Amino acid sequence: MIRTPGLGIVKGMGLTLRRFFEPKATIKYPEVRLDVPHKFRGRLQLLYDEYGAIKCETCFQCAQACPIECIDMGGLDTKGRFHVHWGPPETYGERRDESALRRSGRPVPDASYAHFEGIDVGPLEAILEDFDHDPRHMLQILEATQAAYGHLPVAALKLISHRTGAWYAMIYGTASYYRHLRFEAPGNEVQSAAIDAHRPSEATYLAGFEAALAGGGGAGAGRGKGRGGGRGAEA
Amino acid sequence: MTALSRTWSRLTLPGKLIFSILPVVLVLTVGLIAVLVLFGPTIIQFLADNIWLVRFVVAATAILVMSIPTAFLIIYMEMKGIALMNLRIGPDRVGPFGSLLSVVHGLKVLAKEDFSPTGTDRLVFTLAPVVVYMATIMGLLVIPFAPGLFGQDMSIALLYFFAVGGLTVVGLLMAGWSSFNKYSLLGGLRSAAQIVSYEIPLTLSVVGLLMLAGTMSLNQLALNQAGWFTNWYVFQQPLGALIFFIAATAEANRTPFDLTEADSEIVAGFATEYSGMRFGFFFFAEYVNVFVISALFVTLFFGGWNAPFAWPEAWQITLNLNPGQLGILLLILFAVIPVIGTLVLAAPFLLARSSMPAWQAIIIGFVLFNLVAVAAVVGIAYIGWDWVAGLLWFLGKSYVFVFVFVWMRGTLPRVRIDQLMGFAWKWLLPASLLNLFVTAAAILVFAS
Repeated sequence: MIRTPGLGIVKGMGLTLRRFFEPKATIKYPEVRLDVPHKFRGRLQLLYDEYGAIKCETCFQCAQACPIECIDMGGLDTKGRFHVHWGPPETYGERRDESALRRSGRPVPDASYAHFEGIDVGPLEAILEDFDHDPRHMLQILEATQAAYGHLPVAALKLISHRTGAWYAMIYGTASYYRHLRFEAPGNEVQSAAIDAHRPSEATYLAGFEAALAGGGGAGAGRGKGRGGGRGAEA
Repeated sequence: MTALSRTWSRLTLPGKLIFSILPVVLVLTVGLIAVLVLFGPTIIQFLADNIWLVRFVVAATAILVMSIPTAFLIIYMEMKGIALMNLRIGPDRVGPFGSLLSVVHGLKVLAKEDFSPTGTDRLVFTLAPVVVYMATIMGLLVIPFAPGLFGQDMSIALLYFFAVGGLTVVGLLMAGWSSFNKYSLLGGLRSAAQIVSYEIPLTLSVVGLLMLAGTMSLNQLALNQAGWFTNWYVFQQPLGALIFFIAATAEANRTPFDLTEADSEIVAGFATEYSGMRFGFFFFAEYVNVFVISALFVTLFFGGWNAPFAWPEAWQITLNLNPGQLGILLLILFAVIPVIGTLVLAAPFLLARSSMPAWQAIIIGFVLFNLVAVAAVVGIAYIGWDWVAGLLWFLGKSYVFVFVFVWMRGTLPRVRIDQLMGFAWKWLLPASLLNLFVTAAAILVFAS
């Protein structure tokens, strides 16, 4: 094709002149409103960041604002330990089970909901009685509870908080500080794997950072080096 | 005394201003009347003897006054036109279809603080916008708007135009230099380089036309192109017209050659440190310049104020209206015609649509009558006075080219500085020399 000098200019000028007479795209918003369904709230979607982690901050604002209560939030807290949700937990559990059964045709166990399983409070009452409901013996209480139940269930922590008068947050802090205290039954590998799949651990983040920092051609070489504290071995 | 001071203290600030200015105005008015009564005939005699002085003052005032609404109109055209080309609506809040937005912009700019940064050369910094603005509008003094309607019919009008237009560079350099900012200085030098480079093809492109016309007087050039539109110089000098248009675009700092103040790239070039009305002057000068360049282009190549057709003499309508003959009937007509016209034009609406109340029909009739009356007045003026006809044609043609400038701004991307310079020196200059050579050869061949 022969390039004619100035032909592009003529074409462009023709285009803008056509646009000049075409109907306009602007909507004068306060005066003119698009015909939108009354309860339209846009597309409900959770977004993911560049490392594949979900961007949701679990602030529950969407669930609170939802006019027909169709948004139901459930998941783990930011440390991957606690199940959080909007609304009364028992209602949530019922609705979740019902919904999962309806959609999949079979009962779907909720691994993270296991934290909220009820417990037999008999042993715990005895332990608390032994320590005279004294919050100053918190570590001993927690160790005895773990010895009795195998781990520290949420219900047990709540009951300890209630009986001793110590803040739940303090008890949680104590329990999470000592390495020998755990929140899950030992050997629950399946659940840990499920949590890891759902929400990448810190090592995955680091790996992603390393890959991003390596950049360009070095992207393949840098991958996976951050995992397992291998950052110092980079050379 | 106390009563007087108490009354004074009760006045608001505007009241105090008015009461202090009022006596001065009174004294001045009385003095003016006294001077007119005492020395009136002498002054009139002096002005009649020095009619050139009156003409100069009137022309300069008229051009200064007309430049402001022209700038407003072109700024509005640009905002609206580019918006429409971008499939937007553009200004639509102030005035009908947003047409007063540029006026409000002007008022905003006027109300801003008169600010000059530390280290500026105050005098030069203040003078630079004035120089740019004056250099722009002084070109209008020689442009013939209509038969007999021009500031001055110089024999070297075109030369004067280019000489005065070249002063813009001085203003830009002044602005860049006095800003005490190296980027402004670079911007000023950059714009000077651009404008000086494009002056050469701009001037050379007109030389061929001047050889054809044998005159530099713009009025004479417009007269030469009378008759049918085939007499326009654009048909004898198409290459010259093209080069002139391109070079004029660069002269006026318009897209695609608006590197002097490429708003998206180099902040504002020479005008970086300017704000308020000083910047406003640069801004106005740019838009007035668009009109000036369009007007010159029309005058040189598109027949000036001539209509594109020339009907035979027999078809000419001559109006021999002398409203004075009607006497007192004229007053009665003035009182009666609007009422009758309104009612007559309202009647069809009232009769055709039974749902319309009478007051709505009358309002419609009044608006229609106004349109008809304006059309009639303009039509009679067009037929009766050839300067009205000429002015209408001239402004119409000029604004067509103003629209072309706006249209180009809505379409074309900005060129790079090296492309800009290369285009001027490698293409436009040889092309204008070729045009000059061919024209000269043609004159030699056909004249002998």
